[in-house]
Amino acid sequence: MERVTGYIGRKAIDSITHLLDLCAFIYRIFAQIFGRPAAGRVLVGRIIVQQLYFTAVQALPILIPIALLVGSMVIIQFARLSGQYDFSRISVLLIVREIGPIITALLVILRSATAVTIEVSYMRVLHELDALEMAGVDPVRVVCVPRLVGITAAMVGLFVVFDLVSILGGYAIVWLATDIPMAGFLYQIAKAITPADIGTGLLKAVLFGIIITATCLYRGFEMKRQITEVPIATSRSSIECFLYCLVINVFISTVFYL
Amino acid sequence: MNAHLIELSDYSLPAVGSGSGIQGFDFALDPGDVCAIESRHPDDAHIFLRALAAMVRPLKGTYAFKGRRCDFHRYQELLACKQQIGYVARDTALISNLTVRQNLLLQRYYHENRLSIDLTDDELALCEAFGLCEKLDRRPSGLNAMETQAVIVIRELSKKPAVLLLGQPEDFIGHARFELITQIFNQLIAERLPIVFLSFDQRLVGRFANRNVTITDGALTTIAVKAAAGGE
Repeated sequence: MERVTGYIGRKAIDSITHLLDLCAFIYRIFAQIFGRPAAGRVLVGRIIVQQLYFTAVQALPILIPIALLVGSMVIIQFARLSGQYDFSRISVLLIVREIGPIITALLVILRSATAVTIEVSYMRVLHELDALEMAGVDPVRVVCVPRLVGITAAMVGLFVVFDLVSILGGYAIVWLATDIPMAGFLYQIAKAITPADIGTGLLKAVLFGIIITATCLYRGFEMKRQITEVPIATSRSSIECFLYCLVINVFISTVFYL
Repeated sequence: MNAHLIELSDYSLPAVGSGSGIQGFDFALDPGDVCAIESRHPDDAHIFLRALAAMVRPLKGTYAFKGRRCDFHRYQELLACKQQIGYVARDTALISNLTVRQNLLLQRYYHENRLSIDLTDDELALCEAFGLCEKLDRRPSGLNAMETQAVIVIRELSKKPAVLLLGQPEDFIGHARFELITQIFNQLIAERLPIVFLSFDQRLVGRFANRNVTITDGALTTIAVKAAAGGE
């Protein structure tokens, strides 16, 4: 019994330590952002643009079909289950408040967070981070800040695109492909959606972006010198990112809607 | 009293790999010093080089650069020191998602805060000497091992460092290019740039070192020797 208690206690301490380390890491990145050092601004700006391109623009061909499929699926299901008046409201509730941020986060985790963990892990294992330091370049400034800003901005953009495509595209697909009565659907959506829904969705997207980037960067930086640890770190970071996103999602939904 | 360029006082370094670490030593480096490191365990010699580059946190002791004590808890101050140290060893790397040209210019991109700069004539001359001019816009994955190491040497020399730390320079520049090494060493010595190097090539040690640093069983001793005149 003592061994079990000890095991649980050690695991709890490890988890709390890890969370505190992660918070300290996020603080350090934000200190770099708000400290606004003059050196490297142009370089950092260019890396942010590149990161935005990789995470947002290159993800659109994947995100748009997913948004269309999810949007039409949700509209069809709720049109069958609920009355004409309710289903537009339920679609908004589900897509804007819950499904939109979570699926966007999942896509960013699968595409970008894993890539960032692998990239930073390799930089660590292959001494590229040391090379940056020897050039007097702070790795937090040129590796972490652009990725945090780029991925978070991309997350917000992708969330907006996902919501628009899934509602409007889903409406178009259902209208074209089924005989479900859609009269007044867009009008009902416009009535149902509130600024709080949009604000909450955007807040979730921003927090998801921050926690996803910080987690995958942290796992990359935490890497020791062995290349065999790269897949373990990648797997851990992606699972952790998704778990944190779910926790944040529940927390925000509880605070704003209960 | 003039301050030393690098001064390690009562310094202890941890054991790494097959090495036994180095305990409680003092070491000072001044302009004009050319130190050759000798150790039975290459890992001890390597960690000493890393310690001089402020890349290893000591178990105890103080690190001073140009007379100013460096606090390992003050990361930005440490970066400012590292920026002035040329470090070429087996654990030096190029940034893999940048081209050779961008790797050579990265430090200037960052500190001069602009991207519209190109290589200087000196850097281009070194690239020419190492046969890299045609490969400046390739990424490191498009270079062979010798070319990668040559780019690292050029990058570190083009930093205009205050001190140069070299781990087995003969491997980095190539045994076949021994004359090129001697030419570079001669030039650096003429500029009174302090050099610390680890080499298994006795020709290099004999011709250039004016101090021998010996690491044995965790103890570091320094002996002044007379180098062959300018390596000529």
